[in-house]
Amino acid sequence: MNFNRDYVRSMGWAFVLMVCFAVTMALTVRVNALKSEVRLAERQLISLKREKIFLETEIETRGNQQQLRALNDIEFGYQAPTAGQYLASERQLAALGKPAAADAPAPVRVAAALDETEQLPFAAMVSPLTGKAMAAEVQTSSRERPVDAAGLSHRLSQAPRRGVMAE
Amino acid sequence: MSAISVTATIAPGRRQLVNVRRQLVLTAKLRILLLLAAFGAVALTALLRIALLGVLEPVSSRQSMADALLPPRGDIVDRNGVALARAFPAYSLWFNPKAMGDGGPPLVKSPREVAAALVQIFPGEDEARLTAVLSGSEPGYLRRRILPEEANRVHALGEPAIESPFENERLYPQGSMAAHVLGFVAADGHGRVGMEQVYDDRLTNPASRGTPAMLSLDLRVQGALEDELGRGMRETNAIGAAGIVLDVDSGEVLALASLPSFNPNLIDSAGAANIFNRFTNQVYELGSTFKPITIAAAIDAGVVTDFSKRYPSDKPLKVGNQQVRDSHILGASLNIPEALIHSSNIVTAQVADQLGGVRLNATMRSLGMNERPYIELPARGFPLWPSGQWSRITTMTVSYGHGIAVTPLHLASAYAALVNGGIWRPVTLEKLAPGQAPEGRRIWKASTSARMRQLLRMIVVDGTGKKADAPGYRVGGKTGSAEKPGANGYRKSSLVATFAAAFPMDRPRYVIIAMLDEPQGTAATSGQRTAAWNAAPIVGRVVPRIGPLLGIMPDDSRDVDISDLSPLVAGGAKE
Repeated sequence: MNFNRDYVRSMGWAFVLMVCFAVTMALTVRVNALKSEVRLAERQLISLKREKIFLETEIETRGNQQQLRALNDIEFGYQAPTAGQYLASERQLAALGKPAAADAPAPVRVAAALDETEQLPFAAMVSPLTGKAMAAEVQTSSRERPVDAAGLSHRLSQAPRRGVMAE
Repeated sequence: MSAISVTATIAPGRRQLVNVRRQLVLTAKLRILLLLAAFGAVALTALLRIALLGVLEPVSSRQSMADALLPPRGDIVDRNGVALARAFPAYSLWFNPKAMGDGGPPLVKSPREVAAALVQIFPGEDEARLTAVLSGSEPGYLRRRILPEEANRVHALGEPAIESPFENERLYPQGSMAAHVLGFVAADGHGRVGMEQVYDDRLTNPASRGTPAMLSLDLRVQGALEDELGRGMRETNAIGAAGIVLDVDSGEVLALASLPSFNPNLIDSAGAANIFNRFTNQVYELGSTFKPITIAAAIDAGVVTDFSKRYPSDKPLKVGNQQVRDSHILGASLNIPEALIHSSNIVTAQVADQLGGVRLNATMRSLGMNERPYIELPARGFPLWPSGQWSRITTMTVSYGHGIAVTPLHLASAYAALVNGGIWRPVTLEKLAPGQAPEGRRIWKASTSARMRQLLRMIVVDGTGKKADAPGYRVGGKTGSAEKPGANGYRKSSLVATFAAAFPMDRPRYVIIAMLDEPQGTAATSGQRTAAWNAAPIVGRVVPRIGPLLGIMPDDSRDVDISDLSPLVAGGAKE
């Protein structure tokens, strides 16, 4: 076949054109695919936002002021803080440090002299049933024996009887 | 013969067979070709469609996210953005007998069985009613509102005739709170009564409904006011109560309540009876709460210049054939601070007489007492205003709040002007940006207003308003207990008890009014029916609850300076 230069050039141009067209098409398809993904994500966002509105409204309704007041009246009994509980200004802060007036009652003070050297014993645990110190009732053996499975099951089976004995 | 004849008979038969076979093959090929062509066409169509979808953008209902999330009706929020009314998609339960579309019975199971199954899901439902609806041929609601999980359970029953359509509901998360301000949305989709009616266009217009309408209300303040008014109402067996918390500098309403309230989520006959707004629509003779207004007008006009001047108060004041009297004799004579502290009609009437009807009338007019109150709400009562030129007795009765009937909202506006330096401003339910407060009009001089702050504080410190004195909050105010008019004059047993106050008096920020309609004397009020015992304590309880929320901290070291007036009051010179 006789391929002259012009023919090759025009074939080349046609090939380049076809490649460009194919790339454009591929790109368009890709762009549209992405766009539809965006739309899908948008739809998901909308549905999630709707769900959020739904949940927000539910929590607002369940936790409305009247419900909270009823809950407070029954369960907690919180009250608005009184004036004495606020310290809003430097003047109020300074008022705390004022020297007591001449006719002011003496402040109530609680003091105790602790002997550093004295070892304070722990208070003995008292049985609520007998009123005696627990140490007096529990039979402590002088020597610790190793616990074996048979011994443990035996003690567990004895537990109710021991409880009765304690009374 | 036989061989030739056999060949001759076979030959045409074979030829025929070959022809048939060739024809069959041709038909088969043709069919395969047709089949191939059909498949090819389908594949080509699919390919073309894919290419079309891929290359051309689908134009199917493109909706932006903002459009999709645009509520069918705009939300209403308080000044901090907390939702007061919002559009809420909800399921309902609907019976559609034509759902099957075959003319047969609408239900798969019997109506009785379906009703029993529905009662399993909704234990409160009436089975007989459901059976009746399901047996009928008319479509109708089985239940107006159901939860999503309930809709799933109903769906699992497998009855196509029971539908759960999505409906746009108007939901008020706070229930009956601020119901009179909000109003409700009727079945026609339009707002009624409150701001739902006022904002109807704005809330339904697609261009504006995406942005919530912001009110000046503060939900926390509203809650505190309603709580305490409700408590006061229960304690005194009153038939109603109303109240407001108003910003004195801008005219913004922080809370407005009228009790008993209604639930805008469900308007039934009981709720419909309470839709009437006592605070903005009902006019009352508000009694002694008018006295500070009269005294302010007299100070402003120069009629009262000496606070130590004593006015006789030992006997009723006779004007023509009528008498002005006090509840009991308060002393031989009283000065102005004492007259306010003890709430003397006789002294106030004398001051008003000196002031004159023309000037008192002008003051009342400038306070808007002769027209409907200024607020956005559609329910605004028209005052009962003494017409013509005021006679002496009219001037005197008006001076202590009788013979003139206004809404408590009129009073709130007047008190705001009384303490804020003398500027009257219209009341608004819209949140105003800083610096956007209306200019208003000057009623009194700033010096008069300063004097009134002292006097109002003295009433709470030494007078009838003692029970409103929340420690540290510097409350000032005036009680008013007016008898309600009946068929034969005033009814002794029916009072309207009001306490109009402002706080903190050293720099007033909020006016607060509590009103009880026909309170009774109970153990909680030591058997008393007057405002000092029932309305004042409400204010005394509300202020500590709302003060810190509004940025007013209790401070015992601050107060309005009343040292120049205290010595004028018996027992008041101690400070």
